[in-house]
Amino acid sequence: MLEAVDLSRAFDGRVALDGLGLEADAGEVVVLLGPNGAGKTTTVRLLNGVLLPDRGCSRVLGLDPATSGDQLRRRTGVLTESAGLDDRLSARQNLAAAAAIRGIRGNEAERRITGSLERFGMGHRADVALQGASTGERKRVALAGALLHEPEVLFLDEPTSGLDPTATRDVIDLIADLTRTRGSTVVLCTHLLPEAGRLASRMAVLDRGRLRAYGRPDELAAALWPGLAVDLDLGGPATPPVLGVVHGCRGVLGVEAAASGARVRVEDREAVPAVVAALVAADVAVYGATPRPATLEDVYFALQGEPSPAAPDGTG
Amino acid sequence: MSRVDPAAVRAVVRKDLLAATRSKAVVLPMLMVPVLLLVVLPAVVALGAGRGTTADISSFLDQLPGELAAPVARLPQREQLVVLVNGYLLAPLFLIVPLMVSSVLAADAFAGEKERRTLETLLHLPITGRDLFLAKLLGAFLPAVAVSWAGFVCFAVVANAVAWPVLHRLYVPTWLWLVVIVWVGPAVAALGLGVMVRVSARAKTAQEANQIGGVVVLPLIVLAVGQSTGLLLVEVPVAIAIGGLVWAVAGALCWRGARRFTRDQLATRL
Ligand SMILES: Nc1ncnc2c1ncn2[C@@H]1O[C@H](COP(=O)(O)OP(=O)(O)OP(=O)(O)O)[C@@H](O)[C@H]1O
Ligand SMILES: [Mg+2]
Repeated sequence: MLEAVDLSRAFDGRVALDGLGLEADAGEVVVLLGPNGAGKTTTVRLLNGVLLPDRGCSRVLGLDPATSGDQLRRRTGVLTESAGLDDRLSARQNLAAAAAIRGIRGNEAERRITGSLERFGMGHRADVALQGASTGERKRVALAGALLHEPEVLFLDEPTSGLDPTATRDVIDLIADLTRTRGSTVVLCTHLLPEAGRLASRMAVLDRGRLRAYGRPDELAAALWPGLAVDLDLGGPATPPVLGVVHGCRGVLGVEAAASGARVRVEDREAVPAVVAALVAADVAVYGATPRPATLEDVYFALQGEPSPAAPDGTG
Repeated sequence: MSRVDPAAVRAVVRKDLLAATRSKAVVLPMLMVPVLLLVVLPAVVALGAGRGTTADISSFLDQLPGELAAPVARLPQREQLVVLVNGYLLAPLFLIVPLMVSSVLAADAFAGEKERRTLETLLHLPITGRDLFLAKLLGAFLPAVAVSWAGFVCFAVVANAVAWPVLHRLYVPTWLWLVVIVWVGPAVAALGLGVMVRVSARAKTAQEANQIGGVVVLPLIVLAVGQSTGLLLVEVPVAIAIGGLVWAVAGALCWRGARRFTRDQLATRL
């Protein structure tokens, strides 16, 4: 469906992408993460056949972007980082040009453009020149354009930057909806980790052109941190004897004191009832036991070698 | 090589033209120059002739090549100035119109697209690099020819109408005019285009492209002006030859431009 092997590209001898390997199935959301200049936009351009690789190859929808670019681009939709609209034209005119290039014309184009603009709340501003439109308004128009032809693969380069919270939530819901109901595959570049966490079936962490990690977020988390973290609310920091009790239970991998109790690392959630039972038997009051599965945010920061604000084991 | 997708080419041409007509920096020179050159100037000359301010231009005619001066010298003196200027001298000057229209539009289409950051969107659409290049060429070339031909029609009407009291006949177009309009004008439009394609590959903004282009385009304008003042005044066969030469240079420039106009190269310079 989407596959890249050793994909590499340099500009004037400076490496922008080095040996990227990816694969994803239809209906998945691949999130590309990484600091500025990591190579996310370059990856999108390579996967849609806009740039040619120096080395390596890729396949999207069974097509090689480097040789069957136009065939591929008929079936993909792209939202570029800068919305890329002509300010002198109206939203409708901008979209009509793109639609006509895609072979959508006449009433059909009119219907789709109106529908798409309305879906993104830009129906009321469809026919005035975009000059003076806000960042978010432009982004909405560009998104409407990227979805006009119901693409099978959607490349979204920072789709929510510049959007207000409501619009951000709408876009996230929309992406989730597209993959679920239409089986579209989405490649999403973003700096917003929570939104990435909500959507990602696969995450790629890039840094200066190199892939630091690629996989399903939960699998990456499992590789980083074995087992599952569980927060125990004991009404106050656990004392060493209490920690000893927890440590003695079956399936417990580790435990440490926390402000309101302890954080326990267990093999799986089946170990939790035994831990609680042992504590109760030792006359320790247990107010709650909450599993804390690692988030994409935790994984990202761990891969960057930085402590996460909410790392599953408190150290990141 | 895949077939040209006429619908896609048309879509790009239409969008570029629609946008260009909304831009003062593009429309103003496209209107002002033809109006001044093709309406105001001939009217002033013809009116001057009508007032009886008949300058003695026989000494000037003496300096011209014989075959060219002959049809003018044969005329009554009061007719000489208006026929010489409107019938012959203005013809080369007219070339500024297609040259300017095509280079202004080409700068907007090639460098302007980069400047507005709309090029990347276009590159992500299913249109071949070749079709995109073709669309950009046509989008500048066709309007340049259209504006110059429309301008010429205005010119012919004004020049003949205003000079009617003096001449009592139609004197424009002359054969020289016809060659210039049909053959040399479109060639010069293509030349402006070829130059701007090259320049725009390096320039970051349309304005920059126009400025760099000016270094190349201005000497051509000076040449045209020089011609029109009689220094390089040409006869019909020479005009045809010059047109052929301009076509060849323009063709070579566009061909080289096309070879550099690949998606990857465009995306690299985004
Ligand atoms: N056309 C180009 N010419 C020269 N260098 C380039 C070009 N395109 C990208 N680069 C370089 O390649 C690297 C990766 O760029 P890219 O735009 O892919 O990063 P990114 O991950 O999208 O960053 P951001 O989060 O800032 O959008 C950067 O160092 C950039 O300077
Ligand atoms: Mg980017």
